[in-house]
Amino acid sequence: MRKIPLRFKIATAIVVLIGLIWTMTPILWIVMTSFKERAEQMNIPPTLFPKRWTVQNYAEFFKRADFIRSFSNSILVTVSSTAISLIMALPGAYALARFKFKFRNLFAFLILLARMTPPIVMVVPFFLIARFLELNRTYFPIIIASSFLSVPFALWMMRGFFAEVPGSLEEAALIDGCTRSQAIRKVILPVIAPGLAATSILSALIAWNQFMFAVVLTNSSTRTLPVLVNMFVSERNIDWGAMSAAAVITALPMIIFALLVQNNLVRGLAAGSVKG
Amino acid sequence: MKRQAVYFYLLPSLLFVIIIFLIPLIYATFTSFTKWSLLRPDLGIRFIGLRNYVNLFTDSFTWYSLKVTLLFVAGAVSIEIVLGLAFALALNTEFFGWKIVQSLYLVPFIIAPVVVGFIWKFILDNNFGLVPYIIKFMGLGKTVEHFPLLANPKTALLMLIIADIWEFTPVVMLILLAGLKSLPSEPYEAATIDGATPFKKFIYITVPLLRPSILVAAVLRTLTCLQVFDLIYIMTGGGPGRLTETLSFFAYSQAFISYDVGLSSAANMFILFIAMIFTIIYMRVIGVEVE
Repeated sequence: MRKIPLRFKIATAIVVLIGLIWTMTPILWIVMTSFKERAEQMNIPPTLFPKRWTVQNYAEFFKRADFIRSFSNSILVTVSSTAISLIMALPGAYALARFKFKFRNLFAFLILLARMTPPIVMVVPFFLIARFLELNRTYFPIIIASSFLSVPFALWMMRGFFAEVPGSLEEAALIDGCTRSQAIRKVILPVIAPGLAATSILSALIAWNQFMFAVVLTNSSTRTLPVLVNMFVSERNIDWGAMSAAAVITALPMIIFALLVQNNLVRGLAAGSVKG
Repeated sequence: MKRQAVYFYLLPSLLFVIIIFLIPLIYATFTSFTKWSLLRPDLGIRFIGLRNYVNLFTDSFTWYSLKVTLLFVAGAVSIEIVLGLAFALALNTEFFGWKIVQSLYLVPFIIAPVVVGFIWKFILDNNFGLVPYIIKFMGLGKTVEHFPLLANPKTALLMLIIADIWEFTPVVMLILLAGLKSLPSEPYEAATIDGATPFKKFIYITVPLLRPSILVAAVLRTLTCLQVFDLIYIMTGGGPGRLTETLSFFAYSQAFISYDVGLSSAANMFILFIAMIFTIIYMRVIGVEVE
């Protein structure tokens, strides 16, 4: 370990501290507001911690039928689009990492282009096609739209993880009499399990947080959480306490999820963006 | 390896590329050449050639929103790189509790953009938001008294940029941290023997070696900044007036507020064109990285 001069340690500590304050203040502010009574939310000067803690804001939410509905819609959309994106992306990522084939570069370019295409470009055609196929009352459009975002992402990320596994590993399995799909299932998948976990979580994150497609492609019965949150924000008189509670509830599942698998997530994120 | 087997593995993602990506994209390209109003379905869909594009490029608002978009990208990306680099450097030394700090830094990125927009709208709220209170506290009350930060033409875009910086600096930090961790140690050892100061090491070794990672982060963030939508939708709705309407927001409002599908699609093709240029740059950059 190199010896680090004291003033660099101090500089590091200052940067870390500023970073923490910058990152955490807004979050703490919202969390604390969600536990404040209505009158106290508007106190001047504002105070960070509630004088009287209350769970009133949360209670109101859990009573609402449309909240429960949106919450379960979000779970449904997230789980199905994550499953779809893994099914679609895994074999392709494997092929891209292992085989040389005609149009390989074109295929890689199209996948990357799909990932880089601004979602707004796809909103109008998705909306029109869903209307044309009379699917606009179903979950289909929003699930497909979410997988439009997560498939290229998953494919690009998994390609990196597959490429990290030495090819000799599955060759050995093939010599031992496995078929290729057996070799993948029994030898490769266990090796890349951490990568697979990270990919699933990021795909789920994309679907759970997705707003633009959801606002266009869902209706009152298929509405997801971000759309519900938005509906409250755009009201003239925002109930900041209830809104803060909604924001916390929307953010919390994914934060817990991400913290649980932090190591894989960080590795996956870095691999997905840098290695290409 | 037999050729059929390759296509067997490629099939699911080929289906994705064709059905979920290319067909809707071709459809969107087609609609950009039509006059199509969702408000008047009785008029049907008429092919009008390049008229939408002519309208788009002769409308001064298109160029205005392009300017807003580029301002947003330039402001957000440059500060995100600087902040991200500072955080990455700080987290590159493993101090007590750095793992916890790292995960705390990541939280804004994990939160849904809608929630991020709400958080900032709340903090910037003129009546009981934290930021206007601090501004008043510092004796600058007049600046916010009559001009809510998000409704003030001078500050609205800046506030959006700040929210974007808050949300996406963690991504830049992660990319740069990964880059820092993979730097070779030899140049540093040689420089130490030569008696270089840490500052000189940073300028002459770290920055040049980290250049590919910085480029990747910059291009990637540029691409996603070009797409910014959720924050604007929640925080300003494109306002005050239409001052914070980016290209994406412009395309959205053409389709779902003015119901002019044709013009919206033309705007989208323009956005796609810009994104494509950056995608090609990105490919070049990561190509450099891999070789």
